[in-house]
Amino acid sequence: MTAPFTVEVDQNPYLAAGATRVDAVVTVTATGTGDAPADALEIIVVDVSGSMAGEKIRSAREATAVAIAELRDGVAFAVIAGNQRAQQVYPDAGTARADERTRAEAVERVRELQADGGTAIGSWLRAARGLADRHPDAVRHVILLTDGQNGEDAPVLERAVRACVGLFTCDCRGVGTDWRVDELRTVASALLGTVDIVARPEDLAADFRALAGAAMAKNVPALWLRLWTPQGATVRFVKQVAPAVEDLTGRRVDTGEQRGAYPLGAWGAESRDYHLCVDVAPGTVGTRMRTARVELVGGSDPAGSAPAGSDPAGSDGVLAEAIVTAEWTDDRHRSSVIDPKVAHYTGQVALAGAIADGLAAREAGDATRAEERLGEAVRLAAESGHVDTSQLLEGVVEVLDVRTGTVRLRTDANKADADKTDTDKADSIKADVMALDARGTRTIRVGRQG
Amino acid sequence: MTAAGAATTACPHCATEPVAGDCFCEVCGTDLAACRADAPDHVEITLDGVAAVGDRGHVRARNEDAVAVRAARDRVAAVVCDGVSSTRSSQLAARAAADAALEVLLGEHGDGPDVRSAVAAGAAAAAALVPRGTPSPPSCTLVCGVHDRAALTVAWVGDSRAYWLAGPGAAEPARLLSADHTAEAAAAAGTLDPAIAAARPDAITRWLGADGDAEPDVTVLTPAGPGALLLCTDGLWKYLPDAAELAAVALPALDLGGPRAAAAALVAAALTAGGADNVTVAVVPVHPCQEEER
Repeated sequence: MTAPFTVEVDQNPYLAAGATRVDAVVTVTATGTGDAPADALEIIVVDVSGSMAGEKIRSAREATAVAIAELRDGVAFAVIAGNQRAQQVYPDAGTARADERTRAEAVERVRELQADGGTAIGSWLRAARGLADRHPDAVRHVILLTDGQNGEDAPVLERAVRACVGLFTCDCRGVGTDWRVDELRTVASALLGTVDIVARPEDLAADFRALAGAAMAKNVPALWLRLWTPQGATVRFVKQVAPAVEDLTGRRVDTGEQRGAYPLGAWGAESRDYHLCVDVAPGTVGTRMRTARVELVGGSDPAGSAPAGSDPAGSDGVLAEAIVTAEWTDDRHRSSVIDPKVAHYTGQVALAGAIADGLAAREAGDATRAEERLGEAVRLAAESGHVDTSQLLEGVVEVLDVRTGTVRLRTDANKADADKTDTDKADSIKADVMALDARGTRTIRVGRQG
Repeated sequence: MTAAGAATTACPHCATEPVAGDCFCEVCGTDLAACRADAPDHVEITLDGVAAVGDRGHVRARNEDAVAVRAARDRVAAVVCDGVSSTRSSQLAARAAADAALEVLLGEHGDGPDVRSAVAAGAAAAAALVPRGTPSPPSCTLVCGVHDRAALTVAWVGDSRAYWLAGPGAAEPARLLSADHTAEAAAAAGTLDPAIAAARPDAITRWLGADGDAEPDVTVLTPAGPGALLLCTDGLWKYLPDAAELAAVALPALDLGGPRAAAAALVAAALTAGGADNVTVAVVPVHPCQEEER
């Protein structure tokens, strides 16, 4: 069931005398397609609140039908309609196994979905959890579509999300511009999924097809990055840095003395990068040490079959491993070099941070700060050749000088689309802001250095 | 199976017993292979017809150079290796390569010393230290020389050097015999982009180790007059690159105290000049006329 994996480390191990911070980029790659695909569970949760009425619900029906068509035979699936409560659309209870008949029946039911009522995302997630619990060994994936803000109190949603952590991956999609990016990001981030805006309802079908297709391509239900660090060392952070920035530091599950594991979620034939930063006690010049051992382990229990204190060389359940080292030197030519991958992703994280800060300042009405931070983002995106983010930024700011990062916030008046009404322009800017917010954490990769 | 270089004694830093097969301490992370006391801070070897002196220097924490010399029958052979400090436990590579190369240099050959085979044996010994695919495998440079009745035969890989030392106006003038395998040299030869070479001109382009190109260059000298063969690491020649200057330091000492005195004088000169790197030299005195009389 497991694909062969590699774990590679890029770093400059040389530290100046007295230095304590060790940075490395860890690349985890599934190198093959592995064995037969794992059992899979796909749950599609469609917002049917009153605000979905009209074009949105029609597009949601269509998109759900398209996603169902993507499910390969034998996959367990269910469709849930959500408003102020969750209602199972198909099958009547539990899950169905995909085949020609069940797919057709499900699509029939989906076509009858009507928009009415409120939005209670927490209750939808709890319903999905009830189904996921019955498929502990499957690659479990949820597509959650909404168009509005959650009507539940924040703690209610938080508790629901927490109850689902580790049970399934959840990709969240917002249609239109009346939902909140931060709200859906909380859900998607905790459940190791993505958040994105589908501004135009007619684009939903293509997006759902891609999501369901990607879910079908996952064949490892859960991976963990297990870390050993030296006694006295501090893990400053562990961040996923490609394909998007996601801070995993707080997700650590301690697995023993000097050991902890970070959830990576389900995997298919893919490669992701992680930035690892560890503080160690400084060694004397000329000495060398291992500052981290990075192990990739599968399964729902990150401690695996190698609990604390067991012989790590036995390494049962370890799919791949690598080490991060440090060596103290007085040769400044060596210690002053920043590894190109570490440098690249440090820049990409700074870019994502500038976007988040800039949008928050814009929201708060602080145009000066917004233009300063978004200007910095424009400059960083250009410098790193991040074309997608550069384009997203141009929807939100007018770029006066890329090199210095001088920008002006776009308003209805200077929005470029001349043929649109003012209302359309305002909506268009809002959609661009939400797209930048949702996608601003995506990074571009650099090639492995020879 | 125990990996090459894996420790068998407790960690010198935290006294934890090592995990079988692991080169690092499981508690504090200390590199146990690097702590092994197999790289002495100071080495002096004096034999009939050859001497070598090595020193850790004033700055480096470890002596990663290695030297092996021997006189046998009709032949004197010397090997000097410099562990590449950007690789792990490079002193192990230097030691293994020097010993393996020396064995071959002193072996029986139909047509004189087989320096290429000696370098190949040294390279194989360095490469065998770690499993294939180990990142930054132990690596070293090598320069070796054989003095037999016929001539001096010198081979090298990397930036350790061979010099012919002779006094002013000597029949066989003092000069550098080797040509460094460095980025700067590769750029000058047109085989490396000068822009790349400019970043690290002194980076070596050939070395002995699991991931190295260990193809040696070879030169043969039949001296027209007396002098001495000098083999040295860059810890010496970075301070004294000029053959005449080296000769001016070494030859008076050679006349007074033999090859050991000459080698010690050269190392002392490097240490006085700064001693920033490990420094190792081997000196083989050459007296062509006397040998013809034998």
